[in-house]
Amino acid sequence: MSMDSITIPASPRQEFAAGVVHCLPIVAGAVPFGFLLGSLAAKAGLSALDMGLMSALVFAGSSQFVAVELLDKNGSGGTAGLAVVGAILLVNLRHLLMGATLEPRFRGVPRGRAGLALFFMTDEQWALALRRGPELTLAYWYGVAVTLYLAWLTSTVAGTLAGALIADPAAWGLDFTFIAVFLCLLAGFWRGAGSLPPWLASAAAALAVHALSSGGTWHILAGALAGGAVAAIQAKGQGRARDA
Amino acid sequence: MLESLHLDWSVFAIVLGGALVTWMTRIGGPWLIARIRPGRAASAALEATPGAVLVALVAPAALSRPSDALAAAFVCLIARRVPMVVAVVAGVVAVVLLRRLL
Repeated sequence: MSMDSITIPASPRQEFAAGVVHCLPIVAGAVPFGFLLGSLAAKAGLSALDMGLMSALVFAGSSQFVAVELLDKNGSGGTAGLAVVGAILLVNLRHLLMGATLEPRFRGVPRGRAGLALFFMTDEQWALALRRGPELTLAYWYGVAVTLYLAWLTSTVAGTLAGALIADPAAWGLDFTFIAVFLCLLAGFWRGAGSLPPWLASAAAALAVHALSSGGTWHILAGALAGGAVAAIQAKGQGRARDA
Repeated sequence: MLESLHLDWSVFAIVLGGALVTWMTRIGGPWLIARIRPGRAASAALEATPGAVLVALVAPAALSRPSDALAAAFVCLIARRVPMVVAVVAGVVAVVLLRRLL
């Protein structure tokens, strides 16, 4: 990644184009993924319009998978709906940390413009922006953002339209798709052996609460709290080891 | 075609709620960091949350029967070595075969 020799300031148009080009490999990965989400949404009874609005307004892949899975299982009414919003929030809490690391880049950007730009901050957007370093421009940011946004919107809607054609997904093992997708997303969060204790704590808590509550979504909150607590304890332990 | 344009209002309410909380997590990072420095424990807990949520989501379903648990273990093994779409398709094929065998 040695691009620091370039010193000529690029025009906004060049910056935008660079953003588009840099995120093309990501688009290649995101399109099948969006298509898959759309077909699962169709299975959960969502229309293409429902899915399109979700992709356009939430625009956060992992949390949309979680939302569609919960809608499929528990429906959208009353407390089940609130639980979906809560689950979306929990999955997206990591944005707080990611955004915090971008704060130096957004210092000096007017609040409204920063708020709009940050709407597009996905894991991939964040990674590319961080890699761009101090030379990050809003034009580059939007080159990435617009490309990812259009790819995500069209692929999820297309998936919903196509998925409605599949009659019985379970007969093809497609009910396992959710599990496989979540495990792949989980693998992306692996940070070495230290990730294991919070995950085991989460699994134990989730299984216990799930067995006791017979369905619903409380096991997700239980798992999140147990995992977070164990991670906090780990961090404290490490801090103490370093101080000693 | 008309069905694909059907809007479920309860789903739309969830979408609006989800959109609002997600946007707040996106603008909240720079806003918060300029005001408070989260301690080591708080950032570790925050960092671990998405993974913990995913684990909590899959654990009951993945461990519901031996065939699914084996297929889930298989997906975990290959997830970091192959593209996601490949891992998902391989996992689905594995679960279909294992459900037939076990």
